[in-house]
Amino acid sequence: MVTYDDGANAPQSARPSSLAPYLFGTDHKTIGLEYLWLALVSVLLGVVLSTLLRVHSSWPDTAIPFLNGFEYTPDRYAAVRLLHGSLMVFFVLTAAPQLGFGNYLLPLQIGAPEMAFPTLNRVSFWLTVASLGGMMGSFFCATETGINVWLASAAIFAVGALLSALNFTVTTIDLRAEGMSLPRLPVTVWAWFLNSILSMLIFSVLLAGCAALLSDRLLGSQFFSVTSFLAAQPQNLVRQGSLPILWQRLFWYFAQAEVYVAMLPCFGIITHLVSTFSRKPVWKERLVVLALCGVGLIGFCVWGYHMFATGMNPYAPLVFAVLASSLGVPAAFLLASWLGTLWEARLQLTTAMLFSIGFISLFIAGGLSGIFLARQDLSSAAVSEDFVIGHFHLVMGVAATFAILAALFFWFPKIFGCRLSEPLGKVHFWMTFTGVYLIFMPMHWLGLLTQSRLLPDAQRVALASAGASIRTLVTVATISTVFAQVLFLINFVEALARRKASQEEDNPWRATTLEWSVASPAPQSNFGNARPTVYRGAYEFPEGLVNDFAPQHLAPELLAQKVR
Amino acid sequence: MPGSTATHEIELIIEKKTGDGGGGNLPPTGRNGGGGDGGKRSPRENPSAKRYYTGMALGIVSILMFFMALASAFLVRRGSGVWIPVHVPTLMWINTVVLLASSATLELARHHLAEGRHSAYRNLWFVTTALGIGFLVGQVVAWRQLVGEGIYLASNPASSFFYIFTGAHALHLFGGVTALVYIARRNFDQAQVTRSVAAEVTSYYWHFMDALWLFLLALLVLGK
Repeated sequence: MVTYDDGANAPQSARPSSLAPYLFGTDHKTIGLEYLWLALVSVLLGVVLSTLLRVHSSWPDTAIPFLNGFEYTPDRYAAVRLLHGSLMVFFVLTAAPQLGFGNYLLPLQIGAPEMAFPTLNRVSFWLTVASLGGMMGSFFCATETGINVWLASAAIFAVGALLSALNFTVTTIDLRAEGMSLPRLPVTVWAWFLNSILSMLIFSVLLAGCAALLSDRLLGSQFFSVTSFLAAQPQNLVRQGSLPILWQRLFWYFAQAEVYVAMLPCFGIITHLVSTFSRKPVWKERLVVLALCGVGLIGFCVWGYHMFATGMNPYAPLVFAVLASSLGVPAAFLLASWLGTLWEARLQLTTAMLFSIGFISLFIAGGLSGIFLARQDLSSAAVSEDFVIGHFHLVMGVAATFAILAALFFWFPKIFGCRLSEPLGKVHFWMTFTGVYLIFMPMHWLGLLTQSRLLPDAQRVALASAGASIRTLVTVATISTVFAQVLFLINFVEALARRKASQEEDNPWRATTLEWSVASPAPQSNFGNARPTVYRGAYEFPEGLVNDFAPQHLAPELLAQKVR
Repeated sequence: MPGSTATHEIELIIEKKTGDGGGGNLPPTGRNGGGGDGGKRSPRENPSAKRYYTGMALGIVSILMFFMALASAFLVRRGSGVWIPVHVPTLMWINTVVLLASSATLELARHHLAEGRHSAYRNLWFVTTALGIGFLVGQVVAWRQLVGEGIYLASNPASSFFYIFTGAHALHLFGGVTALVYIARRNFDQAQVTRSVAAEVTSYYWHFMDALWLFLLALLVLGK
């Protein structure tokens, strides 16, 4: 009866044959799902590109598609790397946990019928698609044109991200159901909410940076260019034709916080899943929320540590190093809470839970090597391409992917109405888990071995041969891990094929939050005319109930009937 | 709070059941306090309007961040390389007065709207829109003056920043003018929000554009 957006997007006409709902429909579930499909396409492409990169670095003479097809120049290698990074960071790590699962689940979890601005939500989705098209298109352009197209695409992505962040934030503030006070919000919602605030701040900076750089390149303005400045400077200080430092400042201001934009929703998802499958409340829930705030706040302030190598005010590195190291504090809180929740729990080792625990493991492993990079003195010694790649792939790339997979296994019944296969999922988990450690752990050694600036030249040469065999190991591990993902695709397709026949119960994991209070898959209108009322916190598994959990929406008198 | 609540709740309920208390459910402690008509949602004229205020407030923060990024780049860039400051043309000072006047007429218009004097509101709304367009035209003329003096976007870093600040502000203000026109022409009979809500939300944006312009002007005059 209530249409939420002043008539502009009146109820979608029920014409299932039409394509219009999928193109212009403003239902948050449709849009969320489309983001997930977008992420799936991007991740497959990104994985193929990373395999090409690995093969090239191990066997440089092998003919590789995409690299050889064009003029075979270092620029093409850089272009493949750029495309791999852009696809993974923007369209997988940012899109899936926040825009995909967030769009689908946030209104359901807070008991809202829709997003605050549904039409805006659709607009952001198409901006994201346009940006994806632009970034892929830039790969096929000549280098200079390609950079312009890439910058424009990044700017478009920033606008889309800003609009959806605005939407998420307003939805969380204004559209919560009756009784859904802030302490009762699921941690996932907290994470999406805090993440949106962070996104609103940093994507503006990316937008400003991209706009200025594009204007430099196309209109000849001089924000970053230094034709007049160069003459007065020693030649080795500034690279020809540009003043990269200022651009780098703006870029890293965005990009460092972007790491946390990718990670924050993952923290939320993992906290949520660990609690559900431990059948225990989140240990120190308040502290977890504070820690999420802390991650966002500190993450916002540490951009400088990417620039230790560029020269800055001598005190600045110290400040950034202290700040960056202090990120360990909220991270330790989160870790303590996960372990505290797991402690003496009645664990249910479903595939989703396995991926969650895998996330925790990767987060610890990757976080430890981060300590080396956060110190300005250590990082200048340890920093090398392989070490950095190993570090951030473990802690950001792979850990976030594990969180995405955990979320997918967990919410698949909600979205599609049936579960993914558990045995197949577990085999897939173990192969992937072993695989990623085999890929990224040796990369740390490789970085320390072959490129440490502390060693005299002779030793470095001697170690280079050891490095070659490690490099081959990494490449072989990459290829086998990529093939392990076929298992996941089979699982995915098979589950989709049998979903029509599936008789899955509505709440297969016996979870407490509101999205499970409605049918699976969620009905078009979410809660219909009767909006839910929330009576308790999001993670309550009290003793003495027939079921071991107390759903948020269950009225106390109904809950009382379940007391044994 | 988490964890113990449900257990505690159940204990309470069990007590109630044995003591036959009746009617003993804890009221949901929500924002709306559960007051009013027995747990039912209060009639929503406000919840759907509130989101526009929140959205505008957050949007303003985001836009501010965009300009702050450029301002910090401005301050850093000023210290390096050839920096030939651009003098602010006199016309821009006149434009500033025009913009400030438009904020005043906008407030007056809203005052009349609230009092129900629709023709006065409509006239003042029109004046505000005209002043806004006047500001934009004035900015364009000022740019042309600068171009006439040989100061282009590409001349030097200072001129680049001068044009991007004034240009980005003009673009944002153009959005504000569009909103003014939209509200003037829109039929609010069918809409979820009233005209006064739309006017109020737009006025926040407009005043913000005003304040932002003063800040940018100060940056360009004092920061050179």
